[in-house]
Amino acid sequence: MDEFAFGVLTNIALFSFLALSAYLLLIAGEMSFGQQAFFGVGAYAAGIGTAMWGWPLPLAAAFAMALGAGAAWLVGLPTIRLRGLYFAMATLAAAEMFRILFELLHYRREIDGDLVGPDGTQGFRGIRWVLERGFEPHEFLALVTAILALVLAGFALVARSRLGARIRMVGEDPELAAVFGVDVARLKLGVVAAAGALAALGGALYAHHNTYIEPRNFDIMLGVHSLAYGLIGGLGTAAGPLLGVLIDIGLLESLRVFQGWRMVVFGGLVAVLLIVRPRGLLDEAVVNRVKRAMSTR
Amino acid sequence: MKRALALMLLGAAPTAALAQRLDAEVDCKPTKHDLVYDCRFVLKEAKTGKLVSGAELAVGADMPSMPMAHNVKPVKAAPSAAPGEYTARIELEMFGEWALKLDVRKPVRDRIVKKFDAREPSR
Repeated sequence: MDEFAFGVLTNIALFSFLALSAYLLLIAGEMSFGQQAFFGVGAYAAGIGTAMWGWPLPLAAAFAMALGAGAAWLVGLPTIRLRGLYFAMATLAAAEMFRILFELLHYRREIDGDLVGPDGTQGFRGIRWVLERGFEPHEFLALVTAILALVLAGFALVARSRLGARIRMVGEDPELAAVFGVDVARLKLGVVAAAGALAALGGALYAHHNTYIEPRNFDIMLGVHSLAYGLIGGLGTAAGPLLGVLIDIGLLESLRVFQGWRMVVFGGLVAVLLIVRPRGLLDEAVVNRVKRAMSTR
Repeated sequence: MKRALALMLLGAAPTAALAQRLDAEVDCKPTKHDLVYDCRFVLKEAKTGKLVSGAELAVGADMPSMPMAHNVKPVKAAPSAAPGEYTARIELEMFGEWALKLDVRKPVRDRIVKKFDAREPSR
């Protein structure tokens, strides 16, 4: 494989963090158009951590996750009692607020004779921790994939646990969940914060892969895509959003057949799937069929 | 993979050769084909401004408003007669603002990101 192929695979893996973040909210019954904001918070926080404060990437990524979770929790506090379209609109508005905050963020320091740091709309250059340590493209891909595998393992564990059942119950019928003693608002707030941390982790890795970020990276298009991946791939399993990313970035983009028309094809695909398979390709029915088939073997 | 993990966990110090920064001047002109541009790059050391010849340079592109989704395959830039100057023909997917990614492999490893506005020609 050449560097381009490694780059495409790395992008698929990085997008998966964001798609999983939106998926987590979808299974809790909420549709967020704003996960790109926490992806951005993570990117800026980790970039500042390594490029300006001299932290190692693991520490900066942990800081980014904490900040992403905190930011999502703050957005969740006033919005979590909203339902459906109202919650979606609130998250979209919050994400735009964050993007404008990134545009207003000017925090630069001279490091080794160079001015480094976020410079408003001019972006944040020089996030070079990964580059300066000589990571080869395949090594960074391996690292991102390993972290993604850990995240998926976490999803699998939660899916089998009581917590996973509660999240799905709240997603299906919050009133019924409340009758069974689930503190719906508290659980949803926890999910919102976890989804924020996950998006921020993806953002931290993205900033270090790209070495450069700017506020426009985190606009509505990124949020729409991350949400669409779960809806295309399916809500029955955490593999669903990954399938969505693979279909878009891996297939439509890499094949280049639809060059220039890709977004039209992608939009059409989302529309068709929402009509014929409203919970995506790997929906709960498919996942249950697979589970039954495997258990009878 | 092991090396990548070790680098992460140990928080290894930057390699001096990799810590050198480069900069570039970019000038892209449209060709007669839509979305195809002939670009000229002048590569230099960021601090001293000294021109960098004999570099191995590949040019890719990404759309800032849709990061990670447009993977324009990088093309190798060819050195031209002038010192520090390289040329490459790039083909974009759509009009709009792009971030050109200049990946330098030799004499030092670096990535330079430059904005480029691909405007639709008036017909």
